[in-house]
Amino acid sequence: MTNKSYDVVVIGAGVMGTSCAYHLVKKGFKVALIEKIDIARGTSSHCDAVALIVDKMPGVDAALGYASIQRFLELKNELSYDFELHQKGSMYACETDQEMDIASKYAKSMQDDGYDIDILNPKELLEHEPFMAKDLKGGIFSKACCGLNPFKLCFAFVDQVKGKGLDVYSYTDVKGIKLNDKNAVEGVETDKGFLSTKKVVNCAGVWSPEIGKMVGVDIPVKPRKGVILVSATSFPFCNQKVQEFGYMVSKFAEFKCKRDPDVEKYNVAFTIEPSKANNVLIGSSRNFAGYGVNTEIEIIHAIAKRAIRFYPILKEMNCIRSYAGVRPFLDAHLPLITDVDKVPGYYIATGHEGDGISLSPMTGRLISELIAGEKPYLDLAPFSYNRSKKNN
Amino acid sequence: MKDNLRDDELVCRCEEVTVGDIRKAIQAGARDVTEVKLRTRAGMGLCQGRTCELLVQQIICRELGISADKAGFSTPRTPQRPVTFGTLGGDGFDK
Ligand SMILES: Cc1cc2nc3c(=O)[nH]c(=O)nc-3n(C[C@H](O)[C@H](O)[C@H](O)COP(=O)(O)OP(=O)(O)OC[C@H]3O[C@@H](n4cnc5c(N)ncnc54)[C@H](O)[C@@H]3O)c2cc1C
Ligand code: FES
Repeated sequence: MTNKSYDVVVIGAGVMGTSCAYHLVKKGFKVALIEKIDIARGTSSHCDAVALIVDKMPGVDAALGYASIQRFLELKNELSYDFELHQKGSMYACETDQEMDIASKYAKSMQDDGYDIDILNPKELLEHEPFMAKDLKGGIFSKACCGLNPFKLCFAFVDQVKGKGLDVYSYTDVKGIKLNDKNAVEGVETDKGFLSTKKVVNCAGVWSPEIGKMVGVDIPVKPRKGVILVSATSFPFCNQKVQEFGYMVSKFAEFKCKRDPDVEKYNVAFTIEPSKANNVLIGSSRNFAGYGVNTEIEIIHAIAKRAIRFYPILKEMNCIRSYAGVRPFLDAHLPLITDVDKVPGYYIATGHEGDGISLSPMTGRLISELIAGEKPYLDLAPFSYNRSKKNN
Repeated sequence: MKDNLRDDELVCRCEEVTVGDIRKAIQAGARDVTEVKLRTRAGMGLCQGRTCELLVQQIICRELGISADKAGFSTPRTPQRPVTFGTLGGDGFDK
């Protein structure tokens, strides 16, 4: 690979790197995608995959989420490889009147911003999901929400442009980034050789701090682990992504509700998601425990306990596997989609935590617009590196 | 392993994946058991690859001319065999 030269080198072939690479090639750039293991072998194959609007905070978070869903619907036609996109909607279920109260207020503020969100009473909730527990207090629902297969999305981005402007270097580890005397990017050093380029995009997810250190840029991303349980295939008893509203509590500390102490320790909040193969994926936990992806029995127990609380039918159903992934977490709860003033040619796209699949289409598009010097589709100030210096 | 596996021979019974499907995945770039699994679902079924994984590994070795070591295996995960959510989440569950 030595002595090759590219317009842009993208580091990391998860959902962020593959989306950035795809959108950059579409702008006419010659792109290299470098990946330590292989396509979609990091967090992007150790996760759920829904693109939701009902879990976004009103404001920029919701705007980015909504724009990404619109972009997904375009990509379904644009990419030849089927990434199993479906738009079945998604629901939050409330266990207590207090949760229902907060959920309704949240839904109203989203409605005021023009988003299509319904408030469901207990009867309507059961019409959506007949197999849920009968004592729930209601929920909120949006039909705009999508589900998809996250690793197939990565394959789809790559397959579309590979060899047509994109070169993929799998099993290639980035070791350093060469800067010139003006501190601008000159190339990327790997264990397989050197690639020269004036532009690098750091899409290394939870490993992005290491790629930051190579140019003296501090990226405060921390790995936040989540465990998922997979059921055996069954008749389709769950129609859409469903989450307990307690999930919002664990995601954004601003909402305070009383929670089961047994699940508090690992920040467990029930989510269920039907897959195309008629399994369901049941999650999940949120804790800081390094980069490891073991699935501890204690966490499995807490998740299963929540699962049978919301879907009693699961008591008799089989679990065939557990897995875990690490979300790229930032305190600011908003990703970094940005250039970096002090290192010309260095770009960052990470910190999407539990929303990376969902936000990948717009992230890739915004990075490609930024690098092409065009006016970005959304104002990038909330995602800029400078805000993170102040807020993180 | 037989010398010439036909494309329509079934490798993963749980997920109905054939030799041809696996060859296609390898052509698309898969180089180990995990990557083949992501592209074909071979090994994602009820038996979690207990029946098919070795065969998948052998096909990869043969197609790419690499060692079994290189083709690897998928990560074993809890539970060891199917178990109900009721058991996993039950009050009497021994952590
Ligand atoms: C349990 C769980 C559930 C989730 N559910 C959802 C959901 O429903 N919806 C949603 O939108 N998101 C969800 N997420 C979040 C989503 O999975 C992540 O935000 C997303 O996958 C991050 O993608 P990424 O491309 O940034 O990182 P990754 O996929 O981890 O990609 C980074 C890549 O960089 C590579 N790399 C690292 N260092 C180097 C190096 N030195 N040289 C070369 N390559 C390198 C890695 O090997 C890796 O492949 C969930 C996450 C978890 C853990
Ligand atoms: S035969 Fe492949 S998973 Fe069971």
